[in-house]
Amino acid sequence: MHPLLERKLLTTRRHLLGGMAGGIGAIAMHELLGATAFTPPSPSDPMAPRLPPMPAKAKRMIVIHLTGSPPHLDLYDHKPELVKHSGEDCPAETIQGKKFAFTSGTPKLLGTPRSWARCGQSGMELSDAIPNLHRVADKLCLVKSMFTDQFNHAPAELMVYTGSPRAGRPSLGSWVTYGLGSDNANLPGFVTLISSGVQPNGGTSSFGSGFLPSVYQGVQCRSKGDPVLYVSDPPGMDRAMRRKSLDALKDLNELQARQLGNPETVTRIAQYELAFRMQSSVPEVMDISREPQEVLDAYGAAPGQSSLANNCLLARRLVEQGVRFVHLFDWGWDFHGTGPQEDIRDGLTKKAATFDKPAAALIEDLEQRGLLDDTLVLCTGEFGRTPFREGRTAASAILGRDHYPDCYSIWMAGGGVKSGYVHGESDDLGFKVARDQVHIHDLQATILHLLGFDHTKLTYRFQGRDFRLTDVHGSVVKELLA
Amino acid sequence: MNSPFHRRLSSVATLAPVLAALAAAVHAAPPQFDRDVAPILSEHCFACHGPGTQEAGLRLDSFDAASRPLEGGRRAIVAGNAVASELVARIVATDPDVLMPPPHANKPLSAAQKETLQRWVESGADYEQHWSFRPIVRPEVPAGAAGAGPIDLFIDARLAAEGLQANQEADRETLARRASFALTGLPPKPADVDAFLADTAPGAYERLVDRLLQSPHHGEEMARHWLDVARYADTHGLHLDNEREMWAYRDWVVRAFNDNMPFDRFTIEQIAGDLLPNATRDQQVATGFSRCNVTTSEGGSIDAELLFRYAVDRTATMTNAWMGLTGQCAVCHDHKFDPLSAREFYSLYAFFNSAADPGFDGNVLRTAPAVRLASPEQEAQLAELEARLRTLEAERDAAIAAAAYVDPATLTPPPSRRDVVWIDDAFPAGAEVRSGPGAPTAWFTSQSPGEVFSGQRCLERTAVGVGQDFYAGGAEPLAVPANAEVFAHVWLDPANPPRAVMLEFRTSEWKHRAVWGDWTAVHVIDGRTDRPELFHVGPLPECGRWHRLVIAADKVGLAAGSKVTGVALVQADGHVRWDRCGLSQPDDSAKNPARSLTAWWKERTGKDKLDDVPEPLRTLVRQGPEKTTDPAEADRVRRHWLTKVWAEPPAALAGVVREIEAVEKVSRDLATAIPNTLVFKDLPQMRDSFVMQRGAYDKPADKVTRGTPAFLPPLPVTAAAVPSRLDLAKWLVSVEHPLTARVAANRLWQQLVGTGLVKTSEDFGMQGEPPSHPELLDWLAAEYRDSRWDTRALVRKIVTSSAFRRSAATEAVQLARDPENRLLARGPRIRLDAEQIRDNALAVSGLLVPKLGGRGVKPYQPDNIWEPVGFNSSNTRFYSRDIGESLYRRSLYTFLKRTAPPPFMSNFDAPNREQFCARRDRSNTPLQALQLMNDVQHVEAARGLATRLLAEASGDDASRIAWLYRTVLARRPQPAEAAVVADTLAGHRKRYAADGEAARKLVAHGESKPPESLPAGELAAWTLVANMMLNLDETLTRN
Repeated sequence: MHPLLERKLLTTRRHLLGGMAGGIGAIAMHELLGATAFTPPSPSDPMAPRLPPMPAKAKRMIVIHLTGSPPHLDLYDHKPELVKHSGEDCPAETIQGKKFAFTSGTPKLLGTPRSWARCGQSGMELSDAIPNLHRVADKLCLVKSMFTDQFNHAPAELMVYTGSPRAGRPSLGSWVTYGLGSDNANLPGFVTLISSGVQPNGGTSSFGSGFLPSVYQGVQCRSKGDPVLYVSDPPGMDRAMRRKSLDALKDLNELQARQLGNPETVTRIAQYELAFRMQSSVPEVMDISREPQEVLDAYGAAPGQSSLANNCLLARRLVEQGVRFVHLFDWGWDFHGTGPQEDIRDGLTKKAATFDKPAAALIEDLEQRGLLDDTLVLCTGEFGRTPFREGRTAASAILGRDHYPDCYSIWMAGGGVKSGYVHGESDDLGFKVARDQVHIHDLQATILHLLGFDHTKLTYRFQGRDFRLTDVHGSVVKELLA
Repeated sequence: MNSPFHRRLSSVATLAPVLAALAAAVHAAPPQFDRDVAPILSEHCFACHGPGTQEAGLRLDSFDAASRPLEGGRRAIVAGNAVASELVARIVATDPDVLMPPPHANKPLSAAQKETLQRWVESGADYEQHWSFRPIVRPEVPAGAAGAGPIDLFIDARLAAEGLQANQEADRETLARRASFALTGLPPKPADVDAFLADTAPGAYERLVDRLLQSPHHGEEMARHWLDVARYADTHGLHLDNEREMWAYRDWVVRAFNDNMPFDRFTIEQIAGDLLPNATRDQQVATGFSRCNVTTSEGGSIDAELLFRYAVDRTATMTNAWMGLTGQCAVCHDHKFDPLSAREFYSLYAFFNSAADPGFDGNVLRTAPAVRLASPEQEAQLAELEARLRTLEAERDAAIAAAAYVDPATLTPPPSRRDVVWIDDAFPAGAEVRSGPGAPTAWFTSQSPGEVFSGQRCLERTAVGVGQDFYAGGAEPLAVPANAEVFAHVWLDPANPPRAVMLEFRTSEWKHRAVWGDWTAVHVIDGRTDRPELFHVGPLPECGRWHRLVIAADKVGLAAGSKVTGVALVQADGHVRWDRCGLSQPDDSAKNPARSLTAWWKERTGKDKLDDVPEPLRTLVRQGPEKTTDPAEADRVRRHWLTKVWAEPPAALAGVVREIEAVEKVSRDLATAIPNTLVFKDLPQMRDSFVMQRGAYDKPADKVTRGTPAFLPPLPVTAAAVPSRLDLAKWLVSVEHPLTARVAANRLWQQLVGTGLVKTSEDFGMQGEPPSHPELLDWLAAEYRDSRWDTRALVRKIVTSSAFRRSAATEAVQLARDPENRLLARGPRIRLDAEQIRDNALAVSGLLVPKLGGRGVKPYQPDNIWEPVGFNSSNTRFYSRDIGESLYRRSLYTFLKRTAPPPFMSNFDAPNREQFCARRDRSNTPLQALQLMNDVQHVEAARGLATRLLAEASGDDASRIAWLYRTVLARRPQPAEAAVVADTLAGHRKRYAADGEAARKLVAHGESKPPESLPAGELAAWTLVANMMLNLDETLTRN
């Protein structure tokens, strides 16, 4: 039976057993509240797929987070004026009264050492560090006028994904799964994949559920050990034995349900059945060795490794299976210049190679499978990097940039955003947004809009207040919509 | 004029039919303000027309304000007249420009809500104070069945009013398990169930409850709930998220509940235990409540912001935990819904804003202030060490004075050469001293100043012919550096002068000689006097006064690097005194940091990195000797240098310094071994507090003083000019306080029954849910308060009520009428909490180690939970699982790392303790199923259970299945159940009979190992059955 159908039947069955008290009421409520209001999910079937309150272009989302924040001035935002003045002191007005993480005094302007090309029909200008993305430039929606409030990694990353610089709020992925549920009950609705070593800066809070029910937190699929916690049967137990055990469990639980009539028991039976199916579906979807060699090659993926390439391919496999939200974190983009791997010349060439090939492949692959139109892809760091040389490394041979929140670039693709489009502009030296600024909260509002939500109405009552992703700010950037 | 207000008036005429329709629906009983009306106003109106904001000048939270004439003359509320009330006109308007709440606010009113408001206005618009802010008045208990207690009389009266039939009492097995989990968080032992079943006298259940209340595990179960409120964890929570030591606070909470500490004392000690007269150690430990907040030490943070954030967290937590108010709303602006202004919030904040702990936690285990938790023996030992240290320090100071150190850099001119003394008052240590020919070696001791050259005595010899004092071995060889001179001091008696004096040195042989006077009198080789073997320096020096004999070392063949193994002081005839002999060498001491304090200090002046200087001295050392004008400060640096740096301290000083270091090490090791716990204290000097604009730490507006919100009873006047935290704590538990008793009693109800009478146990304000049984809540609150806050008595009252004891069986009609069981027609049936689920598995498997208290333990956890979120330099980056009994402790004692909480906890809705949590969700997910089926700790527990079964349950499969049911579920299986279990057992048995290797693998899973005597196949089959039993819905549920 098709999993969706099966799930629907199950829900119906629970209704018959008298389980879903909120069901009918919730529908009536939905009508009452009008088209854009949001209907909270039923507590006892929190992951049931739901339609958003507004028509939506995007049905699912993939985030590629480049942890540490890539040097946007060497990838996406070409500033010839900055090149011309490279090595000169920063003009006083550009740094006056500002605080930087690792730079004090008057730093020197740093023009990009990279060469640039106009790409595709749109003529979008991209650097030579990301040659593969040149190929898909016409699919990208490049925003060159982003800004944020935070200049340290952890708070800035939390800002991007929870709308607040402090831990404790729900993350974007959990808001989205809270709002939409998931299309595949055999897989987690919100999956996180981490590559290149350690931490998202915000810890698990960057994919946590905050005060939303914990079922909406990102499930980290891991490259070591069980891909999902506890998904493997213990040693010495095979699938048939698990099935036999679960049959007995189900029989006994059904006896209990009949005698006590508590709907939770019925829900539990269903959750054990889902768990059983996850035990095969999760390892299956996580096993990229099932992909044809040419697909592996296109991504640069290799089974058994932990890499952004593997994770990009996994992201495609997961959304293809109906996972609602896939959040990739790739560590190692903090280009201060404290070591050769953080140099914006060779260091960036090497690091970008691990990202631009799979990212381009992901876009092409999604498109080929007809998934790009309704899958929103976002690629960002937690902020940008300075137009000047980082203070600590200014005397070294390595070229690096400090953290910079005032103006930077990100891109999106698919899912109802304009393609081959560049939004906004930085000023000549790249210090400030010159035109069409987009704040983090605006980006969030736009993402929720693309997914079918009015960001002011996707709320959750916590400690007496209706919280939302965009706090009390944000507006949809209409120009980004296709 | 064409204002919206005027357009609005014109639309009123069209409202009449609507109002008429609404009026027709009016029931006899008018709506009650706090139960029916206030929630609507708060949710739909106050955001714009409440205490915080008054758009169009309209404020709806009091009758006076709401009935004042508005622009245009109309009034929002005209008591008793819905048609004349603008409020009613606006909520039923059809024109979207007129309709309230406006459509864009996304807060539309339902037809029923409109009707309620209209009826309320019709009935006189009676504004009562919000229910939870009213004084607690013990309500009259309704009449009812004889013998029923007050709780049941309230519950039953409501059921009767609703026409709902209550269930019968649950069977005894169910009751035993329900009470055991509710009161101890653990399952009952079959023997306890048997005892209960056998006790047929009246009051058996009460006796069961009393036994459970006496268990030390009762305190653990109670503490678990409070620790969610207190946001207790074992790490700091941000950035490195390093370990923090304050488990003693957790253990204090357990003890407080086990001692049934009255809730007022429990409150006072946690908020202000440090301020109690002669505060005991325990009372200080209790203040750890306000140190449980998340802290950081991330570079780049701003100290003032951190201090502000911590004070806000502590204030909001106190406000929430005791008063059920969402205080953090008032951090940025006046509360939108409750009458708590920002000024009032900051007046509460002023009680916590003088905290002595720093903004940066330092990433250390014991961020001060902390108290040491030493045993009496350890305290005595520490005191002894301390006393010894004081004595030694006095000795050291004396030794420093005696050393009379003179900094060579302060001499003018600075010394160019420096003596290394070989002989002065004594030969070198160990030297085998000989003499002759002539008299034995004799020392002349000085009687009056000037008689000897230095020290106390000198050698003295009267010779006829050649005489000498010397040594040729036994002492450490003496090194000769480059450009050295050797020297000795002589006094020649004018009455009996010698013919010659000679210094003679031995390296491998005696072949280094320097002669003054008639060299032929002492030594003749071949007549040459210009070689190292014999170097004639010149005539005898003047008699009758001390004279220094000096000769360049290389002249006598003592090249740089030579080792002198013997020295002879030789004379020919006469009376000679010899003193102070050695060598002198070029002296760089004025520039040598090990010899000159000034040189050392200047070398470090202005340096950032001063790793070789102790932290407290770094600022002084960094600023340099010139800027250190305070002699006391300069002396601190000097003493450090003399004791820790100086290359040539006198033996007495070096010895005492070594001894001090040894004692300090013992003392330090002991102090490290003794646990500490973080406590809350105030700074000696209070910080000023301000209302912070929009909650920004750097935008202080009006200054505020300590105080409590105006809508609550006043803080009692005290003698002190400024009220203290102790006054605040006492105010919280004062008889007049309307919130504390309600909030606390409600939380106990929630803990035991599953849902609070006020479901939003964290919010008793206008946005919270009104109580399902207001009178019962007030009765419980009054009872709690008036019973001297006897927590155990209140718990006992709740769990011995009929409502708690009812069967949980659910009829369809009950489910339809009351899906959440808020009216309690049936018994409470709730999923066990995360800790209870794990503890249950450990308990029934026999693996549980029921030890109380101590440092957090690290049980099984999948790999890569901590590591991916851990910073490189974090001391909680790598999870090193404990071994042995720590794997099997109660979950309360599991080490909680905030940024990566244990999956077995978060998977079952335990909070990550980042902030106050009064209520957990109870989700039901496939990830939970995976954990319970496959986590090694559950598989191992299943094996433990199967091992017990094979050892303890004799007989056939049927009796073993019965044992399994009794052990896991406290009851016997029904035949249908036993049949299912027997069938699955048979299947597993068959499978494992065919695959012995699989069986062995399964039973070897986990650290503990089964007895080898048990056949692996049989044990494995039962293990899978046990695993299935531990996954039953009934097992995971308090039925």
